[in-house]
Amino acid sequence: MSALGGVALAGALTIVIGGGVAAMRDRLRAGLLVQAAGMTLLGVVGLLALTDGERAGSAFRSAVAPALGLDPLSGFFLAVLGLTAVPTLVFARDYLPGSSGDRGVGALTAGFLLALVGVLAARDVTTFLAFWELMTLLPAAAILVAKRDAAVRSAVYAYLGITHVGGAGVWIALLVLQHHGAIGDPAALAAAGSGAQTLVAIAASVGFGTKAGFIPLHSWLPRAHPVAPAHLSALMSGMMIKVALYGLIRVEFQWLGATPRWLGIALVTVGVVSSLGGVLWALVQQDLKRLLAYSSIENVGIVALGLGASLLLADAGSRIWAAIAFAAALLHIANHATFKTLLFLVAGAFERAVGSLDLDHLGGLLRRMPWTGGAFLIGSMAIAGLPPLNGFASEWLTLQSLLHAALHRPVGVALVAGAALGALAATAALALLCFVKVVGLALLGAPRRAECAAAVDPAVGMRAGMVVLASACVVLGLIPGLVLPTLMSLAPGARHSQFTRHLGLSLPGTGAYPALAVAVVLALLTAGLTRLRGSRRSAPAPSWACGQPVVPALGWTSAGFTKPLRLVLESVLRPQRTIEVREGGGMVQESTYAGHVPSLVDTVLYEPTIRAGLRAATVARRLQTGNIRTYAAYLLGLVIGLLLLARTGVL
Amino acid sequence: MNIAAAVGQLLGVVLAPLLPGLIQTLKARLQGRRGPSPLQPYRTLRRLWSKSAVDPEGTGVVYRLAPPLIVACLIAAVLLVPLGGRAGSFGLGHDALVLVGLLALARFTAATAAWDTGNGFALMGAARDLMIAVFGEALLLLALLVAALPAHSTDLRAMSTAAAGGQIWSAPAHWCGAFAFALVILVETGRQPIDSPDTHLELTMIHEGPLLEYAGRDLALLHWAAAARHWVVLVLGAGLFLPHPRGFAASLGVEVAEVIALCTALALVETSEAKMRILRVPLLLGLGCAIALAGAGLSIGGAT
Repeated sequence: MSALGGVALAGALTIVIGGGVAAMRDRLRAGLLVQAAGMTLLGVVGLLALTDGERAGSAFRSAVAPALGLDPLSGFFLAVLGLTAVPTLVFARDYLPGSSGDRGVGALTAGFLLALVGVLAARDVTTFLAFWELMTLLPAAAILVAKRDAAVRSAVYAYLGITHVGGAGVWIALLVLQHHGAIGDPAALAAAGSGAQTLVAIAASVGFGTKAGFIPLHSWLPRAHPVAPAHLSALMSGMMIKVALYGLIRVEFQWLGATPRWLGIALVTVGVVSSLGGVLWALVQQDLKRLLAYSSIENVGIVALGLGASLLLADAGSRIWAAIAFAAALLHIANHATFKTLLFLVAGAFERAVGSLDLDHLGGLLRRMPWTGGAFLIGSMAIAGLPPLNGFASEWLTLQSLLHAALHRPVGVALVAGAALGALAATAALALLCFVKVVGLALLGAPRRAECAAAVDPAVGMRAGMVVLASACVVLGLIPGLVLPTLMSLAPGARHSQFTRHLGLSLPGTGAYPALAVAVVLALLTAGLTRLRGSRRSAPAPSWACGQPVVPALGWTSAGFTKPLRLVLESVLRPQRTIEVREGGGMVQESTYAGHVPSLVDTVLYEPTIRAGLRAATVARRLQTGNIRTYAAYLLGLVIGLLLLARTGVL
Repeated sequence: MNIAAAVGQLLGVVLAPLLPGLIQTLKARLQGRRGPSPLQPYRTLRRLWSKSAVDPEGTGVVYRLAPPLIVACLIAAVLLVPLGGRAGSFGLGHDALVLVGLLALARFTAATAAWDTGNGFALMGAARDLMIAVFGEALLLLALLVAALPAHSTDLRAMSTAAAGGQIWSAPAHWCGAFAFALVILVETGRQPIDSPDTHLELTMIHEGPLLEYAGRDLALLHWAAAARHWVVLVLGAGLFLPHPRGFAASLGVEVAEVIALCTALALVETSEAKMRILRVPLLLGLGCAIALAGAGLSIGGAT
């Protein structure tokens, strides 16, 4: 066994021990730190496998025998998992103890992490599917250990139901590949013909897409992620859906043989629908965690746009840009993992401090929780795609990929890429609106509740986890050019030596994005202008409300800030609202307002399907009378029918 | 020549307030008034610079830091926009999409500052501004796509050079792109029929809303930023979508004339068009997106 494999096994073993320790009485904190140590080892192993192009353990094989191994692509995902899981575990050290079922959740966290690692390291079908199912089941178990009221049970049930029905696609895709001996061997599936290729491509898109949260298969995601404890939500939204994308990339980019053009168009279409749909519904959420879950759907859509653009560019014969688009998708995976993990952790810290995640109940937290609030501000700016943070680097690359995909004939494909370009620009602007709203409601202005006024920063472990992730958002944003060539070399058909390394993003056919220089220029200019402006200020005055006294009732709400957009997009969002006005003595005494925006996919797809299923079940139940004579009649009818068929020669 | 272009770009930081001043003067003349001199914005800036700022109660670092950061973004944007197809090297690159990112950062900063004040009028303006930006940003990207097609690059210098000469005007795609970018100019400068820069009624403000609480030097900085936004889109529009010759000096001269012509056009539109209902704006911008996309299709289909 190679040294790399040895260290990897030691890391996995450490996590197992950490899980065991966490389950012991009064050892939860130590157990979580041991898990963090194990994840650090695994993250370093992943990084080495990625940068040195080293392989460890077995290669992919179609034989039915358990096998584990690592290659650069697994290494990349493992490194990202390490980067996000270690701060999450350090956060959990101070977050988890004292909550209900804390020891069980701590132990199950170790199991969940091992399942994630296992999917990434699996080198044959049986191991992959085993870890894949564990990855689905363990967080569900952890959620139920932590909370088990009716709402949580129903959310977990929807999660398991939808991911298992959709997840059948994964089984179909992998078993067909196995059948053709095509695990890790693209030539084998190419030899099996386009029918098998199409089947595998569709099955993998549905199976992995359900788990990744592609619209319309996403319905479980905004239900399941918000009910989990903060560190598990962070891992689920940060990493679990990324591991699904790992599977998608493996199957569709490495094992499919030839990738058909329609697959590129399909991925771009799915990307447009998921990114626009995800961010639109994120925008109208009241609950911070639900909002973040919808925003994960948006970001998975952006990754799909990068992957689809890569296929289209490869089809048009532009090898370099196909590799860049692929790298853009991978970079966005890493970036989204960092900032979404961060945002979910901060949401956990807010919930602890304030006792609510309803956006209209927060406010003024930046001043009262400077560490948490500052980290949240950085994470929000990163996810809104603002320079010079990491979200902008990968969105810039994805936009450039789509733009360059739109330069090539045929016209139809170019128009798809062009429309996707416009849609991604709108998505970015919507994400900006969404996170301006979140930052404003949670961090700025006056506290909307007494609890917010009394909130303070959490314990040092939670703070450390958030600060590390926020720094990662900044650092990854400043040096995207150092990471890019490594990621480009992971693209199908690319070689390591093809690409030169720059500090910023300096690519052919672009005007370059020197991230560090832009950051330095902005910082210097801001500092200089602040000095120039000086600090001469008059006494503070109340803000202007046309002469009225400024009272808390005048404060803006989440619904108010998104009202213009809700009005414009009324036909898509279909908001529902109820207003009750109580009048007395000719005057309005009291009015209440309640409004929400139902999920469109739920109302037009899932609910009719459920209704139709229940109706069909009612009809079918009429057959089951419970009367023995009826059943005898069925049998008689069946026998006569079969005899008739045999007589007429059909059977 | 690059040094000349760099000097010109740096001069842009100083000259930007001339553009809204010129538009105000021309508009007054068109309406039969004498109006202020084109130098009026400089006088306003000087007046504001000598006044002290007032912080609304309860505001913090976000509100305090917003004006310098917004101006920093706009300075960087001005330094990105090439003049006569050339640009100095300020270390910022020359990419069109970086420019889009910088404008987005400025917008984010203004809107978060509005949240920090908690002022209802400021938030109303910010919410509307961000809603329009959703459609405006898609439109801007598609217009840039049309301009990037002949250059095969998003390098602003290459895009400007590819648009030089008369030949490009025989391509219908260029006309589509020019129409789309004209709408971008209206959105980014905040002019009628989308926004009215002269309004004093808080309820109708879009771009002006988030500025409502600021005073003194802060307000001066934000006024400059609004003027710089004029500079960025008007110079960019002249460089990418209006006819200009190939050489640097000639092209620079033509661009100056074109920017003045664009200011006149804006004054004409402001005089003749009433402000449209805000909920109709997305329809107009959506139409622009469709035309730009059609232009992109024509360009790819027509290219051999």
